[in-house]
Order: sequence, then structure tokens, then C-alpha cells
Amino acid sequence: MPNRLVARHPALLGLRGLTMGRYLSIFGTFARACLVRDMTFRANFLLECVTSLGWMSMNLAFYLLVFQFTPEIGKGTGWSREPFFAFVATGLIINSIVQALFMPSAEELTEMVRTGGLDAVLVRPLDAQFLLSMHRVDFSSFANGLVGCGLLAWALARMDHTPPLVAWLLYPLLILCGVAILYSLVIMLAAATILMGRNQSLYDFWFYLTNFSRYPAEIYAGPFGGPLRALCTFVIPILLVVNVPARVIAQPLAGGAWGMIAAAIVAAVASLVVSRLVFQAALSKYRSASS
Amino acid sequence: MHNTNGHKPPGGRIGDDTVIWVEGLAKEYRVYDKPEGLGASLRGLFRRTSRLVEALKGVSLTVNRGEFVALLGPNGAGKTTFLKLLSGIITPSRGTARVLGHVPWERADDFRRRFALVMGQRNQLWWDLPAAESFRLHKEIYRLDAARYERVRDELVDLLGVRKLILQPVRELSLGERMKLELVAALLHEPEVLFLDEPTIGLDVVAQHTIHEFLRHVQAERRTTVMLTTHYMKDVAALCERVMVITHGDILYDGSLAEIVDRFTTHKIVTLDLDEPPAPGALERYGFPCEIRGPQVVMRIDRSRIADVLPEILRGAGVRDVSVEDVPLEEIVAGLFRSGDARPAEPAEAPA
Amino acid sequence: MTTAAPTTAAGPGPLAELATRLRIWWTMLAICLEERLAYRGDFILGTAMRFLPIVTQVFLWTAVFAATSRADIAGYSKTDIVAYYLLTMVTRAFSSMPGLAGGISRSIRDGSIKKYLVQPVDYVSFLLAARIAHKLVYYAVAILPFAAVFWICRSYFPPLPDATAIAAFVASLLLSFLLGFFMEATLGMLGFWVLEVSSIVFAYMLVQYLLSGHMFPIDMLAGIPTGIAGIDVADVVRWLPFEYTAYFPAAVWLGKVQGAELGRALAIEAAWVVVMAVACRIVWWRGTRRYSAYGG
Repeated sequence: MPNRLVARHPALLGLRGLTMGRYLSIFGTFARACLVRDMTFRANFLLECVTSLGWMSMNLAFYLLVFQFTPEIGKGTGWSREPFFAFVATGLIINSIVQALFMPSAEELTEMVRTGGLDAVLVRPLDAQFLLSMHRVDFSSFANGLVGCGLLAWALARMDHTPPLVAWLLYPLLILCGVAILYSLVIMLAAATILMGRNQSLYDFWFYLTNFSRYPAEIYAGPFGGPLRALCTFVIPILLVVNVPARVIAQPLAGGAWGMIAAAIVAAVASLVVSRLVFQAALSKYRSASS
Repeated sequence: MHNTNGHKPPGGRIGDDTVIWVEGLAKEYRVYDKPEGLGASLRGLFRRTSRLVEALKGVSLTVNRGEFVALLGPNGAGKTTFLKLLSGIITPSRGTARVLGHVPWERADDFRRRFALVMGQRNQLWWDLPAAESFRLHKEIYRLDAARYERVRDELVDLLGVRKLILQPVRELSLGERMKLELVAALLHEPEVLFLDEPTIGLDVVAQHTIHEFLRHVQAERRTTVMLTTHYMKDVAALCERVMVITHGDILYDGSLAEIVDRFTTHKIVTLDLDEPPAPGALERYGFPCEIRGPQVVMRIDRSRIADVLPEILRGAGVRDVSVEDVPLEEIVAGLFRSGDARPAEPAEAPA
Repeated sequence: MTTAAPTTAAGPGPLAELATRLRIWWTMLAICLEERLAYRGDFILGTAMRFLPIVTQVFLWTAVFAATSRADIAGYSKTDIVAYYLLTMVTRAFSSMPGLAGGISRSIRDGSIKKYLVQPVDYVSFLLAARIAHKLVYYAVAILPFAAVFWICRSYFPPLPDATAIAAFVASLLLSFLLGFFMEATLGMLGFWVLEVSSIVFAYMLVQYLLSGHMFPIDMLAGIPTGIAGIDVADVVRWLPFEYTAYFPAAVWLGKVQGAELGRALAIEAAWVVVMAVACRIVWWRGTRRYSAYGG
């Protein structure tokens, strides 16, 4: 166990004694409990699956409509119909993972802060960030991800371009990077909740922020679009989440692609570190509901 | 602020047996005022007034291993804030503390594995799981040895008589049942220090009694150091010798229950059964009659004078019965709660 | 919140009664506003953020236009699209009823609707009045960011339409408020029969999302055939009430609907308002009868 290395990096504070196996088994217990509950309320579970699939189909219908009027999104970007749908599919996969694994816990955090449930978490000899971001799993959100996989298969089959082997290898890694960046944003949201208590705008904020990443980054062009794109790539790397893996799998790997891939990996690691620091800071300023 | 714990000077040196050591611990909050009225609400968009609330005003004390200590005070006195500081949930504004040698708010895993916190009316068990699953989760989180965990769990479950409840989802159980399961969960990892925040609040008398018995047993057997906050006198009377009275963020008194009477009262309650109602003004020279119900008189007589006054009263004709009692504890403590600045009346200082 | 002006034998003058009602209304408004402002961070941030999705949509359409040589899509030029989305925000400010259906079904479920059955107050009118108050209050303050955004984007708007169009615009906005209200209120009252109204409301939201013009101007559906010969999807949608909750007023302002067609569409909108208002009444009447019969 590289304890000395861990000790020297304050961002990893609290991860001393971390054993993957232990955290996995604890996570497994939580996931199992949620699955049992979902299966008990089966009708509700199915309804939630249908809900998310419904919204998704509406959006797909919209995209099909748009492609009636234009051969591609943005001039010379390469996002014609099939690559664009591969992009959408990538977005579905990444978002479904985040919605299933991390959002439910984050949503419950407001309630926990209000009722003092957070106190109970802080008293356990376990990393608070882990507990607070993973104790609930929403299995119905995986439905969208499954459809995304199907959509990806369809798009890839109909595309002219065939992704090379390296693209296939990079794709899952870049999906993980995207998930990591979004996870970090969830954690910062959680930190803000801990500091500010109830604040509905924060969750709306999440929706609006991820809204920006729904379309290829190339649409943000022009005098306003350019700076916005830069902001959302380098400051809050929301545009790296879906764009990088989508580009890798759906478009030929040009020279610039490698820089982008590196940026995504760096952004993922940096986001995780920054969000952890912010979260620890929020915990140290925690007020706790008055008794 | 008068601390007389009689064991060590407050905030003194940490001895071998000291489990909890607190020095000048204080906590302040900035609270923003909610505006009243439309004009104030509009102004509130741009600027808000706030004030500083002192939840804890600089507390110092020590607690040794195996002690059972109660923190008695009204709502808002600062007791829960104090416990939250010692559990590491919040960080103090000033001062420091050590529990089991650790600084609590650093939240070291080693520290968190050695103590337990139970909060009345606030659920720490995982709501959707049956208690048995929560226990198992507890075992994983605290890294307990399987065989030992099972032994301890069975022992605790049987002591509290909750065996048939542990397979039901927690949210279906009553408050008393949940509290018992919380206690089991808290003690599974055999903590050296147990913090209890109003554990019997909202429970019926039977449940309260069961829990009292349980806590006494556990504490005696395992020499656990227990700190309990409450605003019920009977929790204190049933469980411990040492009580700390806290109001407005200050500890007013730290000592044994028995001593409170000596320190904070100047008189005793004397009840006289007379043959006939007394003449007006007849009893004033002995003390202060506070209730006259026909032939029965309840009066307060200065302690220092009891020995002289009582024989005089009895010698006078017409006294059928007399009883002498201490001022009830509840009354003393309530008075302390109200005052926030009580000065113990030493017999020497009492007005004659 | 019932208002009962005391009536003695002489009776207060109608003026005095009006004054009382106005006073009560003013208090309601003030309290609503205070409530809003209490979460001030929420409020400022929330109002500004409502415009964000439009930003993304506008960029999307700009990219679409860039890749095609067309000057307009279904009659909407690059600038028209921006104006369109901003105008749909105005319409939705009138027609969206957040929490209405859910609130009604909840109060049916937990029994708090009983007090409206017992008191001499008309529940529907009360809800309507409350909604008007809420919207007045909210947009009295939110008009600032709205105006700011419109000012910034004024170059995207075509020149002001003529008086007829403006009148039709205002009329369609007021009608869309009533339409949105009665549609959601009726849905909420299905809670008298169905335990979980949320699935029905969800289906309604879904259809509305697609067909109201919220996502794209309805004109873009032109030319898409249904299975039935001679009938396009667009034809069907024109007769449905959904487009009036986002698309229609915006289209009126932009001059996409003119003359006879304008009159016809307004008439359809008004007709739908009447239909839904009547439906709401009927559902309320039958629902309360059922509720009382089953003891709640």
C-alpha cells in the first residue's frame, strides 16, 4: 500500500487504507438493496423506464426532422446523420451511467442535509464522498444506455467510416473519462448543497449545464460561440464529455484528435481531484441542522 | 461559570485515564435574518442583516474512562452542538478537544472506528434495508471480525429483545423499536466511547426503562465511557452520578446530582399539618409560607435555621404533623435553565 | 382563502366590497412575492437560467443553416428562428402551469380537497385566481431579465407587426393561459378516478413537448404524410390544442399566420378553451360526486 505517496497528496486525504475490495463489497450491498426495492415496486420501475425512453424518443424524432433540412450539423464538421446519431448514442450511454449510479444519491443529499442524515455519514469510518455519491442506484436509468448501445450499433453499421481497432480500444476509456467529468460535477453540486442547504436551482443548473453537451461542440462558433466553447472545454470541461469518445468512434482520427484525447484524460483526472478538494472543504464547513 | 468536578481542574492535563478532554471549545454561527414584509423582502435581494449566535461559549472539561456523564439542559442550550463537536461532525470556532487521543474534527478513520453516536429521533440505519442488512453493512464498514461480530450482535439483540424485528424494513417499525435497533447497531463495533443525543425523546415509559437498563448494563460490563444529552431529569437520575448542567452555551454546574441540592438551594420545604388554619402573620418569623390550604401550610425555611426553627414550631401547640424535604430537583434545574447565570449560594453567603 | 364581505341588512356598497377584495388580493400578491424573494439566490439564478436551453437551440439551428444552402427552413430564416424561440418563451410564461395537475391530485389523495367541498368556494375559480396571482407576481419581477434578453436580441426580430397582429397576439396569449390552465386542471382532477395521475400527466407533457412548438416551429412538420391519403401530420396538429401553448402566438407575432387563417386559428383556440373549461367543470362535478359517495 503506497501510504507515503497517499499521505503527501492532500486531495487523497481520507483514502488511506482504501481497499478496492472493501468498497466494492459495500457498494454491492447498496446496489443489491436498490435492485430488490425496484423489483418489489415493479410497475413503478417499468414506468420510470418508459418515462426516460419516452423523452429520448421525442428527441430522436426531432433530430430526424432536422436532418430533413440539412445534410450535416455545421459546415464541414463531419456530423452527418449517422455520425450524429453515434454522437447521440454516446451521450445516452454516458448520461445513463451517471443518472443510474450517482444522481440518485446526489438528489437525496438535500434531504439528508435537512434531516441530519449527513451527520450519520460523517461518523462512519468510511470516506464520506464515497458514501454520499454511491449509496443509491437507479436501475431504470440504464434503459436509456441500452437503447444508446443499440443506436450506436445501428449508426456504425450504416456509416461509411469504419472505426479502426485503436478507436474501439479508446472508446470505453473515453466513456469513463466522460463519466468521471460528470461525476466531478455531481460532487461539486453535492458540495454546494452541503454548504447552502436547499437550493432547487442547483439541480436545474445541472440540467442546463448538461444541456450544453447534448450537441457536437462545433455548433458553438462565432463571436459568442467561440468563447463559450472554450469555456466549456477548458474551464468546465463539459464539452469533452461526449464529444471526444463520439468523435473517436464516428469520425476518422485526424491529427488533432490525439490532442483532444489527451485533453479528455487530463480533464477527467483534474476534475476528480478538484471536485474532491471542494467536497472536503465543504465538509469542513458543514453546519449541521440545528437540534 | 462554576466547574467543580472535583476530579481534575477543568481543562487540566491529560492523564492516562482521560478519554475526553476539552479546552475552551466554542462555536458560533452567523444567522441571516428573514425579512418581514414586502419592502424588507425587496431590500433583502441586495443586502441582508445577520447576527452572531453563540451556540457554545468556551467549554472546558475532562471525562475519564468508564464514566457515565449526563449533559442536562433545555433546548438550544448547546448540548447537541457540543456532541457534534466531539463526534467531529462540525468544526469549532475556537478551542480544542481530544477524544481518545484524536482531534475529533479531523475525522480520522481510526477515531471513527472507536466511538459511536446515537441521535434520538434521527435515523441512522439505512431506511430501506431491514435492520439485519444494516448490521451487516455496519460490519463491513467497521471491518469487524465475522465471528466476533455475530457474537456481539446476538448478545445485543437478545438483551434488547428485538430478534424478531431485525428482518423487517426499518421504516415499518415504531419509534421505540427503531431506537433499540439503533442502539444495537451503535454497539456492534464495541466502541470505547458512546455519545447519545436525547436517546429517549418521544419514547413511552416502558421503552425508556428498557433502554436505561440496557445502557447501565452495557456500560458497567464493558467500561464504556458514555456521554448523554437530555432535558429529562429522569434519564439523569436513572443513569448517572455526574451531571453537567448547560444553558446558553455555558456549563453552569459539573458535579454529582446530590450536590446540586446543596449548591443551589438555600432552603428546605417544610409541610405542616395544623389543627386549625394559622393566624395571619403567625408563621412569618419562622420562614416564608408559600401555600396555605386551610390547616395545611407549605413553607420555605432557610436551611441554616432549620435546626433552630423546627423545634420552636413543634413546641408551639397545634402541630399535628411535619415533613421536611429538599426542593425538588426538577425545580432547581428548571431554575438553572431559566437563569443562565446562576450563582450557587454557599451557605455562608446566604442572606440571613 | 375565502373572501366573505359582511352583509348586513343595509349591506355595504359594491364599492366597499370591491375595496375589500382588492385589499385581500393585494395581500395575497405581496405574500406570494415575499415567498419568491425569500429564496433570493434561487430566484435570480433560476430566472436567468431559463434562457439557457434557447442558447443551445439557437446554436444548433445556426449550425444547421451553415451546412445547407437554403435561405430559410419552412419559412424561418436564421434570425427568425431566434425570435421564434424567444417568443415561445413568452407564450410558455403564460401557458405553463407547473405543479397544477400534481397539486390537485395530491390534495385529492391526502384529503385536503375536502375543505373545498365543504366551503362555499368554487375550487376551480379559486385555483384560477391563485394562478393569476402567482403569474402576475412572478413575472412582475421576472420581466426585467426578459426585457433585457429581448433588448439584447432585438436585431433578430422582424419589424413590429401591424395592429391586428398585435391584438391577435395578445388575445392568443390570454387564451393560451386559459387553455393551459384548464387542460392541466382537468388532468389533475382525473385523480378522483385514478390513483397516480403522474403517468397521465407525463404522457401529456411528452405530447406537448413534441407538438406544442416548444422544440421546433410546427411549420416544419409540413409535408410529412400520415398513413391516410391527403392528410398530413401538420393538418392533424393544427386541429389539436397543443400548438397553442407555445407555437401559435409566436407565429402570429412573426407574421406566419395571416388573414382568414389567423381568424380561423384563433377561433379554434377559443373553441378549445371552451371545450376544456366545460370538460373541467364536468370532471369536477362528477369527480366530487364520486368522492362524496365513496366517503373520500
